[in-house]
Amino acid sequence: MVLDAIETTCVYCGCGCGLYLHVEDSKIIAVTPSMKPPARGRLCAKGWLLHGFANHPDRLREPLMRRGDRYVQTSWSEVLSFIAKSFADIKRDSGPDALAVLTSAKATNEENYLLMKLCRAALGTNNIDNVARLCHAPTLFALGSSLGSGSMTNPIESLLHSDLIMIIGSNTTEQHPVVSFYVMEARRNGAKIIVMDPRRTQIAEIADLHLQMRPGTDIALLNAILNVVIREGMIDEEFIRSRTDGFDEVHDRVAEYTPEAAERICGVPAELIHDAAVMYGSAGDAAIVYAMGITQHAHGTDNVQAIVNLALATGNLGRDGSGIYPLRGHQNVQGACDMGALPDYYTGYQKVSEFREKFEDSWNVELPASQGRTAIEIMSSAGSEIRGMYISGENPALSYPDSSRIRSALESLDLLVVADIFPTETTRMADVVLPIASFAEKYGTVTSTERKVQLIRKAIDPPGNALPEWVVAAKLLEIFGISAGYDSSAAVMREIAALTPSYGGISHERLERGGIHWPCPTQEHPGTPVLYRDGFPRGRALFRHVDQHECGDGRFTLIIGRSQYHFHTGSMTRRVCILEREVPEAFVDVNPKDAASLGIRNGTGVILESESGTIRARARLSDSVSSGTLFMPFHFRESPANMLTGWQLDPHSKIPSLKITSVSIRREGA
Amino acid sequence: MMFFLEKNDLPELLRRASAYFEIIAPVLVNGEPQLVSWRGEDLALGAPNPLLPPTRLFLPPRETLFTYLQESGLYTFQVPQVKERLIVGVRPCDLRALSLLDRIMLSEPADELYSKRRRSTAIVALSCTEPSESCFCAQMGSGPEAHEGFDLLLTDLGERYLLETGSPDGIMLARLSEELLERGDDAEKRALMRESRERILSARPWLSQERMRSKLREIDWRSMSRECISCGGCSFVCPTCHCFTIADLGLPDGERIRCADSCILSGFHRMASGANPKARPEERLLSWYMEKLEYMLSRAGMPGCVGCGRCERVCFSGLHKTDLFR
Repeated sequence: MVLDAIETTCVYCGCGCGLYLHVEDSKIIAVTPSMKPPARGRLCAKGWLLHGFANHPDRLREPLMRRGDRYVQTSWSEVLSFIAKSFADIKRDSGPDALAVLTSAKATNEENYLLMKLCRAALGTNNIDNVARLCHAPTLFALGSSLGSGSMTNPIESLLHSDLIMIIGSNTTEQHPVVSFYVMEARRNGAKIIVMDPRRTQIAEIADLHLQMRPGTDIALLNAILNVVIREGMIDEEFIRSRTDGFDEVHDRVAEYTPEAAERICGVPAELIHDAAVMYGSAGDAAIVYAMGITQHAHGTDNVQAIVNLALATGNLGRDGSGIYPLRGHQNVQGACDMGALPDYYTGYQKVSEFREKFEDSWNVELPASQGRTAIEIMSSAGSEIRGMYISGENPALSYPDSSRIRSALESLDLLVVADIFPTETTRMADVVLPIASFAEKYGTVTSTERKVQLIRKAIDPPGNALPEWVVAAKLLEIFGISAGYDSSAAVMREIAALTPSYGGISHERLERGGIHWPCPTQEHPGTPVLYRDGFPRGRALFRHVDQHECGDGRFTLIIGRSQYHFHTGSMTRRVCILEREVPEAFVDVNPKDAASLGIRNGTGVILESESGTIRARARLSDSVSSGTLFMPFHFRESPANMLTGWQLDPHSKIPSLKITSVSIRREGA
Repeated sequence: MMFFLEKNDLPELLRRASAYFEIIAPVLVNGEPQLVSWRGEDLALGAPNPLLPPTRLFLPPRETLFTYLQESGLYTFQVPQVKERLIVGVRPCDLRALSLLDRIMLSEPADELYSKRRRSTAIVALSCTEPSESCFCAQMGSGPEAHEGFDLLLTDLGERYLLETGSPDGIMLARLSEELLERGDDAEKRALMRESRERILSARPWLSQERMRSKLREIDWRSMSRECISCGGCSFVCPTCHCFTIADLGLPDGERIRCADSCILSGFHRMASGANPKARPEERLLSWYMEKLEYMLSRAGMPGCVGCGRCERVCFSGLHKTDLFR
């Protein structure tokens, strides 16, 4: 076995692209896309260069334990008993809620499930969360409460049937390239594209209409569109009457959101808003695609609700080509949520308050009933109520808001265990570092943004003594006396399926033949690509009126996002030489007019300052941002954008307002 | 020399060759043709050409040039071993790409690893009797027939193959399975190839190298490039692309790797000062095509496009289409 090709699923964003890893002597030498959907032969640069990091010599190979300022290598048995004993000590002294687990959106479903089980059954706390808290928690809340399921309503391919695609708060070409491929295919087949974004992104360039609103004014804009749709008689009255509740209030209250009123708030000409509304309202099947530009706000849940109101009013749900498409940022952030790595849910969104007995019976342990903390709440009580933490494959020291506060929170813990594939800013603060197998080194399943459960397959051996995290979690469970006996990740999936109605028919054997969209309740069920064809799980879908919130009053609003060539904190992509060359350092996009008034030229070093902190970066003059708006990616430890962001939380979903921050900007040395 | 070989006997012929070579052949992996070490699986010779071009087995997208080990301030180096390989099912388009790469990579100073791999690899080519929709090898003069550059050549005649030898190594290989072979002639093959050529030409009767070259500067690359996401996919599947970058990974021990690069990426062109002569995607697209159609031709005497159609199969924007030159 010298040259092999193993089909698996890409590790980066949530598109879930199938690809082949070409392997020679346990090294990945090339990557090619799968011809099956959603990739259909397409990959982004990150995907094509996926051979760049798995075999990197920086990989963590041995378990490490801190001794003073240094780390020493140790064995798995020693490190796992140490972790178990330390957690047990904290639990005895301060109670189980002094412990917390953050799982990984890069780990498989099986791994998330076992960590969830470890947290609840062994540690005895509901303090568990995952990075969804920082990306799609508002989606989970708003879509869940108004439609019944907090996830994408249609598969990506469904966009090919759309007559109109409205994209809001999503830099689709850069962040979900394969979704943009379907958008562009739809456009080539005659679909209209409306983009609403404070930045003139590539997808905005090719759109029929681009509404370049002020950052954070999405609700005013969406409400104004609904206002016009209602006034022009473009609503789907039959759909509203037979399948929804609460329209009347929305109808009355969006009346004040005239395009003219919205123009004053959003800075988008009323006429353009009117045109967009007519274009959307008159389309047969219209889709709304959104991402972090909608969710990462202190009113993220309301933002999503404004989208739901628009889709419900026009009856754009339950058919091919229609629907709501929240784009997930991680390979398995959907799965991490599905697996109950959330403080208030078990697997498949079974509420802790309702289903505790079921899981107690199955796992044969008593489970905690106390209210669990969300990610930011866990961080804010670190060092006080929270004393021990297990972080799986996350780098909160760089990815969470207000980095300096996060760092001191992590430093104040009695025990911090971090499992990862590379050393990161967070492993550097850990008491114990666990070396984990990467996506290419283990079997398991991941669930993409379109609710599609797919296999990842082992292509190469993990480096050194690194282990798949499901093995680590299973061993810890055993130390805690929870009988595990899992001999494979397929066995873990059998347990998940038995406990989770929406995953009931999913097994590794079935997935060998291709991915399945949940809900898939039985072995015979084909899966459910399109939700709500025949109705809503909660009976009738719910309108809820939402109002535009106050916007930041600073002179400059900084938008934080990603570059297409890097992923999150760069622990993988910055180790891929070509990606690192493409975007080697942080940049701040500054409108040329602002730059002129500030004495900034292309490439000038600038200082950005907010209430939380100060950083330096290099200015890039670009008219993709309007005057008063700045944009910066958060991948770079040298210019950590999240030093600037704050902990202002959305009241419903507890997502922090990562997307926009009021800042001041000045020339370095000025 | 020409022989007939029963289809059922091809695996046996390969099994005998496997005493001397590692056999690399296209097989279906989860339904898609891939080049892998052959372990007796059904061969996928009738399937579309695998996306990973066989030329990439000589110049892998990621390869270790050497590993370095530091001990007491002294470095020792280790160079990877190269295996004796037989690649089965190489199509004429890829064969042509390989001879183009030979002219580039083997011209002095020859690339050491490429040349080692080239010398230790034998090739069983496959005439293209079933071209794909995206194929235009006939227009580019690289197919559907193979004329040189192979050790053995297979042509699918339906019930059996025509096996032709193209080198002394090929004759040796054929001798290993002498009793499976029957003296043959190429009358049937000639008819089949004529038919295949007709099919490819009639799908795009307007297409020619001259037309592509003359159209190059007329195309509105700016509007064409609006949907290009600069993924580099066209380069990563092109059988004649051979640009790479080099990086040292790891300190104090580690490896020097070579990694396939793409001129579609902006950073490829950026200079140390930060200035970039090809900052815009339309400039890079034009230069990609110029490289294929003009520069390679003048440098190596062959156009850099062999009409394999892989770039169209992976393009996001629908931009890499021969329709561009219509």
